[in-house]
Amino acid sequence: MSYGRFLLKRGLQGIVVVWGVVTIVFMLRFITPGNAVDAVAPLDASPELRERIAEELGLDQPLYVQYLDYLWELLNGDMGYSYISGIEASSMVFSKLPATVELAVASSIIAIGLSIPLGVISATRRHEPADYAATTFSLVGISTPNFWLGIMLILLLSVQFGIFPTSGRAFGFVQAFRITANQGLGAGADAFYQWLRFITLPAVTLGTYFTALITRLTRSGMLEELGQSYVRATRAKGLPESLVRYKHALRNTLIPVITVLGLQLGTLIGGAVITESVFSWPGLGTTLINAINARDWPILQATLVVIGTGFVIVNLVVDAIYAYLDPQVVAE
Amino acid sequence: MSDEILKVRDLTTRFFTEEGQVNAVEHVDFDVRDGEVFGIVGESGSGKSVTALSLIDLVETPGRIVEGEVWYRDADLAEEHRDSHPDAVDGDYVDVRQLPEATRRWLRGPAFATIFQDPMSSLNPSITVGEQIAEAVEVQRRARANPRRTRSRTQGYGLGRLLVDSVLPSQGYVSDESQERAVELLERVGIPDPEQRADEYPHEFSGGMLQRAMVAQALAGEPDVLIADEPTTALDVTIQAQILNLLTELQEEEDMSVVLITHNLGVIARMCQRVGVMYAGEVVERGSLEDVFENPVHPYTEGLLGSIPDVEDPAPRLSPIEGNVPSLLDAEMGDECYFADRCPKAMESCLTDIEEHEAPAATDDTDHLVRCILADREYDESEALGSAAKQEVISDD
Amino acid sequence: MISPRTLRNLRKELRSSALAKIGIVLVLAMILVAAFAPFIALHNPTNQDLDENTLPPMGFSRTTEETTSEMVNGSLQLTNETVYVNATASHPLGTNSLGQDVYSRAVYGARTSMMVGVLGTVLAAILGVSVGLVAGFYRGRIDDALMRFADVSLAFPSLVLAIALIGLWGRAAVDVPDPFVVFGLVDPVRSALGLPTGMPDSFVLPGTVIVVVGLVNWVWFARIARGEALSIREEEYVKAARALGASDARIIGRHVLPNATTPILVLATIQVAAIILLESSLSFLGFSGTTLSWGFDISQGRGYLSTAWWIATIPGIAIVLAVIGVNLVGDWLRDALDPGIEGEGGV
Ligand code: SF4
Repeated sequence: MSYGRFLLKRGLQGIVVVWGVVTIVFMLRFITPGNAVDAVAPLDASPELRERIAEELGLDQPLYVQYLDYLWELLNGDMGYSYISGIEASSMVFSKLPATVELAVASSIIAIGLSIPLGVISATRRHEPADYAATTFSLVGISTPNFWLGIMLILLLSVQFGIFPTSGRAFGFVQAFRITANQGLGAGADAFYQWLRFITLPAVTLGTYFTALITRLTRSGMLEELGQSYVRATRAKGLPESLVRYKHALRNTLIPVITVLGLQLGTLIGGAVITESVFSWPGLGTTLINAINARDWPILQATLVVIGTGFVIVNLVVDAIYAYLDPQVVAE
Repeated sequence: MSDEILKVRDLTTRFFTEEGQVNAVEHVDFDVRDGEVFGIVGESGSGKSVTALSLIDLVETPGRIVEGEVWYRDADLAEEHRDSHPDAVDGDYVDVRQLPEATRRWLRGPAFATIFQDPMSSLNPSITVGEQIAEAVEVQRRARANPRRTRSRTQGYGLGRLLVDSVLPSQGYVSDESQERAVELLERVGIPDPEQRADEYPHEFSGGMLQRAMVAQALAGEPDVLIADEPTTALDVTIQAQILNLLTELQEEEDMSVVLITHNLGVIARMCQRVGVMYAGEVVERGSLEDVFENPVHPYTEGLLGSIPDVEDPAPRLSPIEGNVPSLLDAEMGDECYFADRCPKAMESCLTDIEEHEAPAATDDTDHLVRCILADREYDESEALGSAAKQEVISDD
Repeated sequence: MISPRTLRNLRKELRSSALAKIGIVLVLAMILVAAFAPFIALHNPTNQDLDENTLPPMGFSRTTEETTSEMVNGSLQLTNETVYVNATASHPLGTNSLGQDVYSRAVYGARTSMMVGVLGTVLAAILGVSVGLVAGFYRGRIDDALMRFADVSLAFPSLVLAIALIGLWGRAAVDVPDPFVVFGLVDPVRSALGLPTGMPDSFVLPGTVIVVVGLVNWVWFARIARGEALSIREEEYVKAARALGASDARIIGRHVLPNATTPILVLATIQVAAIILLESSLSFLGFSGTTLSWGFDISQGRGYLSTAWWIATIPGIAIVLAVIGVNLVGDWLRDALDPGIEGEGGV
């Protein structure tokens, strides 16, 4: 199978999964106790009013009609309007998306940038102090709930030492760019500085679990690879140790690490939801929790669809990288 | 008398495991001469593969080379180290074990190249075969491009580049010339369509083709000594013959010396000029092929050969002698001849320390050495170790 | 199922690994604390004592500004005074803003974590293993459908799905009587030890949380069980058993399931850790049916970071210790049994 065909196949599978996501999100409403009209109607609403609301929301139609309507509207980019504020759900969700993506990307960069060197050092200096330090860090890291870590960071770095703000978000990354373009470098540098000040603690909070997890995976994978015969053969042919370790062993270590990362992507998004809640970060997570508490169905559904679809897309990218690195995957 | 390219003296490698100390290779001596194939034969667990790894200094923990010398003839290297490491130099020879570690590593490739048993697991599954061979070429190219003292094999190849390469399958380290040379080498070892096959991954190769590729990789450094550790064991019988032919051909053309390690007496008989027989970590008999195979002195060698009706047409596998290779755990090894409890000619005196003895040699220039008292004296039935006594040896353990 | 060789491996690994020992000690400690909470707690964890609110832990003190008013020469004089609030021996880890004993709440919190962790894992394992075995054993359409369904549910992060389901379904909880209290074992012991009596006679089990946590984590078990079923159904002895007319249920029960025990056991351990973290996250966000939970206490302490750091800190330490313990036990099992799975599954 060629690489292109492999990607095509994965893409089609992804579309099926997205369809499944949409279907489950739609069904959620019908496995939820309570009438959807109750969520919208005032408590003392007359039966006529309730009927009108149901009609307006399409709730009086048979299920399959509602489902097809829902699919059709989704395909047209229409996710409905918030029951609470009346804002279009899609614009609401997409305006919150950048904050979450920024947070996820920043913490992934922290995680990948720290964990792979840590794991490699740990594996190549086995039973040395650096290894013990990295192993302890990764054990504690995967065992610490991130909301508590966030609170501890706030307690120490914001409340005690006042280095970082306790919560909120000053600018988006893109906004900071715009400021640079419009108001010159000075204002831009300040905007980026503010951006960095606000995002640091949430990103560290969200990134710690992944740093710890990837460190563990890299360490154990690297130890396994370094024990393989090909590593011995590579040394025997005279390659310097740096190439043996990085070009050969590390690359083969990263292949399974990437799969696990793909599987853990959900954990990253879940972590983002709770991190946002700790730092009042105005992203999808906060939107989701507010929507659930208010039973704001269109917003809730839109958020879930975007999260699910995002997961599928990122997983597709992970798969593509994985297949690119491991020639045997495509062959199978 | 031809010259020795390699003189191994007193090589001793032990493994320090949780169960205790394992004496895998004990005081092994042998020479490898220019342009010859020297065979090391023994059952599995006799220490022959560890001997190979010890030569190239790739014994992995918990193993360690505890003593011994590996004298390698290289006039330039000797000259270079004569002042800085006087103990490591003797005439044109250097003791590889006493050289600085970096220098020892440089020798892998141009001095010693190695072919391992299982070609599939000896190649990195996620890098193309061509690139892996080209790496071996490139290492030497870069080393030559630099003056000896500072020569670096990663010159111009910084950490950043390295990290990019570790993630992306780029060929950053390997130059185009090396890649071309790799294709030539593939052609040299008889791989059809070398251009195209160079871009394939190990899993796309058959076992025989992969072993050919391993040979090509070994040739990349133009080695003086090619160490082949069970090069055909993992292959089909017909393929085995092809690989052996290839080795013979290349050995003659490139004028290499070959150390061929195998448990297959037929392979030894077919390929080698001289041979060492290993048992329980020791070389128990060594000499020219005729001396060892036609006039064996050591009862172990006799036993091995006894099962083969005709040396010219030997059965491919060793016939097991009754009993097992003894445990190599230090705690369980005494002074006696380690073969005593399986030896049909064991005598009382065999329970003392056994030295290496000269044995009759067919020609003047061939050493024939045996680690057995029978080299000095005749078998005397009256002194024979009864089965009861043998039992005692075992229960002594 | 558990062969002598397995036991030997477990023992050998335990002997050589200090971390495994630490893990077992932590897990045993947590089980004991959870089981015997009414004996170990110093106070009823739900008792509020506003006179003793926000007391610091032993060794620390807290300052507050207290304003006193006084009539001096006919006019009201206000004086600000810094008052030190010191720890008391009866609340060694301090109290929260309602005057509840932080230590006793942490002790009872262990119960919630353990219950949700274990019951949630069992539920996830039953669901996942059944689905996985059926998919792997029958392959074909069923397999495709079930695995696509697994892919879909993987697309929702556990935490997101869990808060959605709990948020929509409500936070049902079950009151489980505490047997020690009901049978009157607690008060005599406590008064003999000179501890206050009147421990809660029932324990709130957050039912929705357990169900949801099981529902959102089944996929990991399904993947493993399916893999095992796929490989075992090709074994000669399974084919032979089939040829002899053994029923599918029998083959699954006798051959496939026992072979899958080891990886499932290891995964279950890792999942207990993941679910403890998930439960604490849920109760932190307020999606739980109980207030006796480490996560809930952390969310309560969040508002007092500048004045009373211990309220949020101490339950967090309890979570970290518990999860480290379970993870270490998981590592021990994995290293000793080597089922070839990586530490999958998370919050
Ligand atoms: S030394 Fe004695 S026991 Fe050993 S091989 Fe020779 S005869 Fe046999």
